[in-house]
Formats: sequence, C-alpha cells, structure tokens
Amino acid sequence: MNAAVTQQLTTNSDKQKKMSPYSRMKQEKEFLQIGSVSDKVAPIISKAEISLFRNSLKQNICVELLQQGFHRSFSELFFLLGSDADRRSVDETGSVWLQTPLDEQLDKLETMKLHLSLAERAESTCSWTVVCDQRLFLGQYFSAPEDVWLSLYFLHSCADRELGRHSRPATEARACLAEVYLQLGDLEQARLQAELCIQQAEDGSLLDLAGRPLRLRARKALWGVYSRLADAPLNAANYNKALTLLHKGYSIAIESEDKHIEWEALYQLGLTYQSAGDHDTARQYFNTCMQICSTLQDADGLGKSYKAMAKSNENKGNMHDTLLCLEKLADISGSNGLQHNLADANMCLGKIYFSTSEYSRAADYFLQGYDVACQLGDVALLQKAQVLVASARAHSLRARYSADVASTSSAALRRLVDWKETRGRQGLGTDSTDAATAGTDSLSRHHAGETHLQHKGFMDTCPRSQK
Amino acid sequence: MEANPRVLGTTSIIIPLALPKGTKKLCELCEGEARLQCTECRVTFYCGAEHQQADWVGIHERICQLLVRIRRPTLTTCLEKVKMIEICRLVAQSKLSEGKHQEALPAAQFCLHCSIDVHGPRTVHIFPAYLLLAEVNMGLGNLPRVAELLSQAEWAVLKSPEHAVHHRLHRSLGRLHTVTGNLEAALFHFANDIYFASEEFGLDSTVTRGGYFLMADVYAKLGQIAIARSLYSEVARTWNCHLTKLFESHVQNPDILLEPCHDEAQRGEVNEMLQTMLDFGQNDSRKDIGRLHLVTHCLAMLWFLGGDSLKALGFGSTALQASQLIPNHDLTEPIQCLLQLVQTSD
Repeated sequence: MNAAVTQQLTTNSDKQKKMSPYSRMKQEKEFLQIGSVSDKVAPIISKAEISLFRNSLKQNICVELLQQGFHRSFSELFFLLGSDADRRSVDETGSVWLQTPLDEQLDKLETMKLHLSLAERAESTCSWTVVCDQRLFLGQYFSAPEDVWLSLYFLHSCADRELGRHSRPATEARACLAEVYLQLGDLEQARLQAELCIQQAEDGSLLDLAGRPLRLRARKALWGVYSRLADAPLNAANYNKALTLLHKGYSIAIESEDKHIEWEALYQLGLTYQSAGDHDTARQYFNTCMQICSTLQDADGLGKSYKAMAKSNENKGNMHDTLLCLEKLADISGSNGLQHNLADANMCLGKIYFSTSEYSRAADYFLQGYDVACQLGDVALLQKAQVLVASARAHSLRARYSADVASTSSAALRRLVDWKETRGRQGLGTDSTDAATAGTDSLSRHHAGETHLQHKGFMDTCPRSQK
Repeated sequence: MEANPRVLGTTSIIIPLALPKGTKKLCELCEGEARLQCTECRVTFYCGAEHQQADWVGIHERICQLLVRIRRPTLTTCLEKVKMIEICRLVAQSKLSEGKHQEALPAAQFCLHCSIDVHGPRTVHIFPAYLLLAEVNMGLGNLPRVAELLSQAEWAVLKSPEHAVHHRLHRSLGRLHTVTGNLEAALFHFANDIYFASEEFGLDSTVTRGGYFLMADVYAKLGQIAIARSLYSEVARTWNCHLTKLFESHVQNPDILLEPCHDEAQRGEVNEMLQTMLDFGQNDSRKDIGRLHLVTHCLAMLWFLGGDSLKALGFGSTALQASQLIPNHDLTEPIQCLLQLVQTSD
C-alpha cells in the first residue's frame, strides 16, 4: 500500500507539473526534503490535497466534477471510462491492451473534464451553440488512432443533439464524422453523414474553423466515399457499376469547387475507361485532366495525365501520339524535378523504340533512365535499366547481320565470320559505359531463354566489348 | 507461600502487553490488571498470588474445571453471537426506520459489542455496527458521538478495497457534515459517495441516486438551486424507471410478491424522499412540469405497490394533469393504465 502510494505520488508529480495542486504538493515535498533548516513554516496539507494522492486519478476527477455540481459531466465521463475498461476486457487481439488505459492519462481526463463542464454550464443557460462547440472541440481533440472511438462519441453527441443540431459546430461535427468514417472505411456511415451535412449546410454559408465552407468540405468527403465505393466493382472488373459510381462522384467533385478533386475524379474516370478498353473516351478525360492541371500548374498531375494518355494511345496503336506524350512527360518531369516520372518516361520511350527496332535510340533512353535511377537510388529500377541498356546495345550491334544470322547460306556464314574477325578493330561507335558492362552478367541470365541464334550472337559480342 | 503448590493450584505468569488487542485480562477478585493465569483451567486470571490463593481456597478449587466449559469460546457460542449480531442489527434498523431512535440505541450498542467480541476491534467486519450506532446517535442528535463513531469506522475500513464500504462511510460522513453545517465537506463526501456507489452498483442504480438526492439538498442549502433542480430531476427519472419496472412486473404476475428488500421501511424512505422533492418543486420559483409529472407518477406507483389505493389515485390524477401539460410527448398512457388498475382493484 505504502509503496503504491509513493509510486503514484512520484509518477503524478512527474507527469503533472502543470497542475496547480500537484505542483504545490511537489513544492511541499521538496520543502520537506530540504528539512527544517529553513525558518519557513511548512504549510499544512489540506484533507483534499491528501485525498488527491491517496485516491486514483479517476476518483479525483469524478469527485471534483461532482463537487462543482457537474453531475451530467460526471455521468458521461464515468460511462466513457467504463466503456474503455469494457473495450479492454473484450479485446482479443491484444492491440487495445497495449494502449495506456484512459483512466491513467491525466491530460486527456483533464481536457474532458474541462470541456464537458463548460458544455454543461452552457446547457444550463440554454446556449446550445456553445455546448456543440465544446463537444466538437473534444471530438477533434481525440485525433490519435487509438482514440477514434472517443472522437466518434463526442462528434455524434454534438451532431445528433436534439437541441442545437442545426448550429454551425453541429454541422461541422457532421463533416468531421464523414471524414472519420471515411478513414475507418465505413463508407455507408460516411455517405450518410456527408449527405446530412450537405443538407444542413446548404442554405447557410457555414464555414469551419479553418474558414472553409462546410458544404464544400462535406462534398469532398462524399466524393471520397464514391471513389472508394467504386474500388470493389473495379477489382471485380465490373466496369459499368464502377463508372456509374465514379460519374456520380465526378458530379459531386464539380460541386465541391475544388479543382484538385475534380482532376482526381476525371483521372479516375479516365483510368477506369482505359481498363474497360474504351480508349477514346479515356483520352477525352485525360485531355480535360491536362487542361485542369495546366491551370493549376500541377506538374505531378500533368505528368500522371500524360502517362495515362500515352498508355491509351499505345493501346490504340497510335505510336506517334504515344511518343509525343511520353516526350512531353519527360520534359515536364525533367523541368519540375519529378525524377520518378522522368525515369518512367525514359523507360517507356526506350521500350517503344526497342519494339520498333530502333535500338540505338532505345539504348539512349534506357541509359537516361538508368542515370535517373542512379540519382534516385532505386536499385530495382537501376538493375532493370542496366539489363535493358545492354540488351538494346547488343541488338543495335548485330542489326546489320541479323539477316545473315537467320539465313543458312554459306555466303551469309562467311560474312559473319569476316565480321567476327574484324569486329575487334571496329569498336562500338559509342563509348562503352559501365552500364553495359555491368549489365552483361544479368543479361546472360535474362536472355538465356531467347532463340539459340540470338544467344550465340549475343554471347559472341558482349564479352569482347569489354576488352 | 509456595510450600504447598499442589493444594493451592498452579499458576503461570502472563504479560498483559503480549495478549491480543482488546482482550484485557482482569483479576478474578479485584478486577485489577491480571498477571497470573491458573494453569488448570487457563481461563481464570489474578492480579497476584495473594488473590489467586484466596480464590483457590474460597471457591476456585471446586469450580476450576467447570469454568473451562463456560468461559472458553467455542464454535457454537461464536455462531450464537453472529446470530445475535444479525438480530440486533435488524431490530435496530427497523426501530430506526420507525423513528424510534432512543429504543434503537441499546440494540445498536449491543450489536457493536458483539461484533467487537467476534471479529476484534480493528476489522472491517465491525464497520456496519459502527455505522448503525452512528446513525442512531445521529437520530438522537448526539453529534460528537457520531463524529467519534464515524472516525472509528473510517479507521476500520481505511485499507479496505471494497467500494460499497467506502460508499456507505462517505454517505454517513456527508450526512453528518450536512447536519453540522459544514456544507463544503458534505459535498466532498457525497461526491465520493456517488463515485463509489457508481463503481459498485452502476451509474443508474437507485443507490447511487440516493447520493444525488442528498447532494441536491446540500446544493439547495448553498443557494445553487439550478444544480439542485437538475439533480432532483435525475433522481426522479431513475426512480420513475425503477418503479415502472417493478409496477410492470407486478401487473404481469400479481401473485409474485415484491422483492423482499422493498419492505415497509424502505417504502417509507422512498416516500419521504419523493415527498421532499415534491415540496421542493412546489416551493421552487421555476415550476418544472416534467419533474412534477415524474415525481407524482412515482408516488402513485409506490402507493399502488404499497396497497394504498386512495393515495395512489390522488397522486395518479396529479401526474395525469401534469403529463397533459407536456407537449410533444405522449406520457399519459402509463398513468391512465395505472389509474384504471387502481379503480378496478377497489
């Protein structure tokens, strides 16, 4: 018992330096430690102060509330502490167990005590807006992931009040609720709350504390709900349903008057059309995306739009447009320092030239991609680029003789032998980079499965280029 | 002196300080502090050899062995005493609830003595006896004695982890301070009382609401009428729920008797409490129809359950009038149902 009290005493005095009674007690403790050398008379510790240290934090807070006449706040706090204990006792995964129990967290208890009592005082004078303000504050105060149940409790207690539910804070609480439910993945509740918030905020020009109109904030949340709702049909390749949801989301995104969200909605729509195989429609959406991005000067969004557009063009077989898009993407990314996009663009360009047998060009782009990957420190991309550079180089070297390799005539064979004899003096034309040399090792592994002849030519050329 | 020890009995020295607390041994003859113990029976003590010998010669030699059976505490006497404690407690409590404080005093006092005999003076088991005696003394207006008894009780339960015990202690202390006029202290104790009662019985229990009721009185005395009002409303609401449940179960199974704890005495207490709230509402400058309705409905149900149909009818009609004044909520139905039952049972 004694040990427990001292322990509580020390932890309390450590944690709660701000608290006036606690700090006073600490002073007194220090005073006692100094001893009776000083002439000052030790202040007598009152009965209430003694009980502060003898009793649990929970009891102290509850008793203080009751002593000040806030019996409703007491009931509410007591109920919440009880449900915290219940939550811990039914928890099977053990995740809740690792959290500190609510009744040991002084600052949270003090905050709840303060704001609940302020709310109760306001309630007795029928100032409902103040009540909602205090509850909204508590709802936003508990922002940590482990306190989300408290946040939901206070936000609901603010938004679902019988009196004052049309006030500004109550409406803001609805918007917060929609956002929290969206984060938690409870889309049905999130939609409900967002729609209610839009209804409430429609007529008035209510602003949240940061000065944003609430109706727009609620629409943003609602768009988030629709975009998330579309995920499931999209994964199940049910494009019609996904598109219906996304179109609905898009109309809400327009109403939200937020261009970023509008872009995001359009981009999602475009991607979905792309996966559904409707590349023309997709291209229209990507076009609009690009327009929005250029007004917003959003390089990242613009890059994404170009990339998606390039993919659509590629799928349509429109190689010219694809190359244009990709070059544009490389331009934008290069000038805005978006290295990942730049690397991507270069690799895509390289692949396209590779597939059209323009190997030296392909090698150039792959090399650029490799450089960017080096700067990024992205090892996976770097290795991939090495392989591709080497492969493109190899192809560009033997391009002239590819027909001979395929043919079985003796003239062709002779030409190949000649080439073999003289090749050492010819050089590569371009300088031999470490990329090509470092890549050989993995090259041989990667291309081992290709045709035998290719393999033969490749094995012939590569090691020599090292010399 | 020790020449013929066999004839004069054998003794051994005892050290009074070494005895268990509360078992002071007295000399058989002079009732002074004892230092010797008869080794034959081990239940007789003497202040010195002189009295031992005198007693031995006088009577002890003849009754030494007989005393063993009388004086040594056995299991049966222990059980008898426990039974006695229970009887005393019940008698004292029933007399207390009838308001006969003077008559309750001997029973409560004997209850405390017996409890100390059985359990020892510093145990949590004697706590109820202390509280009972304190309550009786409170009724008699002997406040210094109450304060003394309660501090004894506080000492006995200081380290007990049981919430119920602390709840009762703080309620009694709160009552004492209310009477002595130390209202701040009373608030502190009632706050603790409510806290412990909530831990033990739950927030909405009628036991916890008892603390609310007492606290409301203190706030009313402090002039904070608004807080008193809202506390009373809380009490009225809880009792209304509780009585409605009792009432409904009674209507469904009229043969089953009410809970045994819901006896005459308790009904009296509840009635007094509700009546106080009713008076408070009538003297209050701000009329609260909602609470009036709740309280009168409670009283009507209480008297119906108590079998007094006249009072039930009176309160029922008041409640009906009050409920008709409350807009938007249809509260008349349960009251009409009650009134019908009262009329048919007549």
